[in-house]
Amino acid sequence: MAKLELRDVVKSYGIYEAVRGIDLEIEDKEFVVFVGPSGCGKSTTLRMIAGLEHVTAGEIVIGGQVVNRLGPGKRDIAMVFQNYALYPHMSVRENISFCLEQQRLPKAEIDTRIARAAETLHIEELLDRRPGQLSGGQRQRVAMGRAIVRNPKVFLFDEPLSNLDAKLRVQMRTEIKRLHQILPTTTVYVTHDQVEAMTMADRVVVMKDGLIEQVGRPQELYHRPASRFVAGFIGSPSMNFLDGRLEQGAEGLGVRLADGTRLAVPPARAAAYAAGAGQPVVLGIRPEALSIRNDRPGFSPLDAAVDLVEPLGPSTMVYFTHGGASLCASIDPEAAPQAGRMLPLSVNMNQMHLFDAVTGRALAQAG
Amino acid sequence: MERIRRNPTPPPLAERLSFWGFVIAGLVVSVIFLMPVVWSLANSFKPAAEALAHPAALFSKSFSLENYRRLEGVGAGWVVYATNSVLIALGTVVLTILVSVPAGYGFSKFRFPGQSLLFVIVMATMMIPFQSILTPLFLILKFLRLQNSLTGLVLIYVTFQLPFSIFMMRNAFDAVPRALIEAARIDGASQATILRRIMLPIALPGVATVAMFAFLNSWNEFLAALIFLSDQNKFTLPIMLVNVSSGIYGIIDWGALQAGIAVTMLPCILLFLALQRYYVRGLTAGAVK
Ligand SMILES: Nc1ncnc2c1ncn2[C@@H]1O[C@H](COP(=O)(O)OP(=O)(O)OP(=O)(O)O)[C@@H](O)[C@H]1O
Ligand SMILES: [Mg+2]
Repeated sequence: MAKLELRDVVKSYGIYEAVRGIDLEIEDKEFVVFVGPSGCGKSTTLRMIAGLEHVTAGEIVIGGQVVNRLGPGKRDIAMVFQNYALYPHMSVRENISFCLEQQRLPKAEIDTRIARAAETLHIEELLDRRPGQLSGGQRQRVAMGRAIVRNPKVFLFDEPLSNLDAKLRVQMRTEIKRLHQILPTTTVYVTHDQVEAMTMADRVVVMKDGLIEQVGRPQELYHRPASRFVAGFIGSPSMNFLDGRLEQGAEGLGVRLADGTRLAVPPARAAAYAAGAGQPVVLGIRPEALSIRNDRPGFSPLDAAVDLVEPLGPSTMVYFTHGGASLCASIDPEAAPQAGRMLPLSVNMNQMHLFDAVTGRALAQAG
Repeated sequence: MERIRRNPTPPPLAERLSFWGFVIAGLVVSVIFLMPVVWSLANSFKPAAEALAHPAALFSKSFSLENYRRLEGVGAGWVVYATNSVLIALGTVVLTILVSVPAGYGFSKFRFPGQSLLFVIVMATMMIPFQSILTPLFLILKFLRLQNSLTGLVLIYVTFQLPFSIFMMRNAFDAVPRALIEAARIDGASQATILRRIMLPIALPGVATVAMFAFLNSWNEFLAALIFLSDQNKFTLPIMLVNVSSGIYGIIDWGALQAGIAVTMLPCILLFLALQRYYVRGLTAGAVK
């Protein structure tokens, strides 16, 4: 039960800065997910919180106490590793009780705690087995048992599900969420899977190159990405990007694409972007914002040369090219075209995003 | 989890045939390997007259400890030689483990300048033939006043045992994933606890392998023992065997020799059986995963 603060935390290996200054406050009982591409410094940040890596600069504060100089065993945290890191020569029971023994708890107390943890995670039958005799999902549960049994201030997870197959991953995902509801504890969860981030997090921290790119609730990141990077990272399939120029013309504000197509910015949003008129921009459109040609307000026409059609059931993905760029649209299966045809589409410009072509920052927060 | 099958269906015929084929082949091979051992043991308990009887019988009706008693008469007596051998072997095992475990741990889990070079140099000593440095070794032992002493011999054995042992222990500790140590640190374990409760139990097969090789090599070693020990009372079992077989008046006492062989061989076999479970795992550690 504690608040976790990172104050301008930096980690360098020699001259290489793996983490370049992270400022973040994580509230008590909050579930925060760090997400980002490989090598962006997620694990390094988590390991600094755990005390497994030295902090080069900045402060880590757990429950109001600066813990920079405390060893991992003294920080009252628990960590679940990617490959579980269960002690192979100990039974499940011994694995779970190891940390309690280190705290010199009385035997009876240890037994009740193990029983309670085993019950919560449904691993009562496994207590006398060795880790080598367990399936991947069972090992995962035991690793979580080892974490919850000590009642830590903070839970740390480093890609705990990446060794599981797709189905089990979804199952364990809900399991971890359920666990967090039963035992609300401050949690930092690292993953490179944006679906995990979106489904589990109270707040998502998107990292890139050792820096925080954006922090926000999942819906916030989805609807109001602060940069082209976040926009492309969150959402699956990812957002389409088209190069263009923001123009103020007789018909109002619009985006002129490289091939000459003009997409009108809806009047409701024009005011927010007017200041950027004349500047080169990147237009971001999610596949869901593309639909079969219609003339509802705010929709602009776009022609598509269909390359590939992928029926998914509830919707059909259409991969197409426009002016040299490869794009993807999610459309109604009823209207699905055949590959090789031209398909008239409309862009819902109410849902478009505009980014600075040079810096990649969002021009204005989309409504 | 009621998933235990009570009435497993019998395996198909082909599977059973290949199982029995395997058992029979295994038995044949074991008999071939066990025969010399059994033969020596059986012969060592025969009275002298029967040992050379023709046709040779594997077992004799008259059980006798005569051969062992006669072995008492060889030099200082076999008990003295066996004691020397045990002291040397145990000394070699203990010292080898005391040095190679921390050395292997250091090479495996720490990074320091010159590490690879140092490791290569240690390994390279394995390529030096023992015979080629007998003279310098002798001079060094003499300088240290350790010639004709069991301690000196132990030091030589340990020296020659170390490269392999350090290599084994490094591999054994390499096989312990870093994450395990980190998990233990987070669990609040001290360095000593981590070494005792996590590292050593997992590296135990490696330790057993090292102990086993140190024991066998020092137990069976002949040349160095012959050269560096000159005192009758300090000889080891292999030297005693040579003395027995070269005979007192040129006549070889086969019965006593068999008894000597039995005494020499038994501890090796017992140790091997006791440690084989670890030993096989130790040799293959790091091969998978
Ligand atoms: N011990 C180390 N020495 C030098 N560089 C390191 C070390 N550990 C990590 N790095 C570097 O720090 C950067 C961040 O690594 P980190 O493990 O935090 O990435 P990550 O975001 O967890 O990636 P992934 O999704 O692949 O796990 C990487 O570029 C990595 O090469
Ligand atoms: Mg990582």
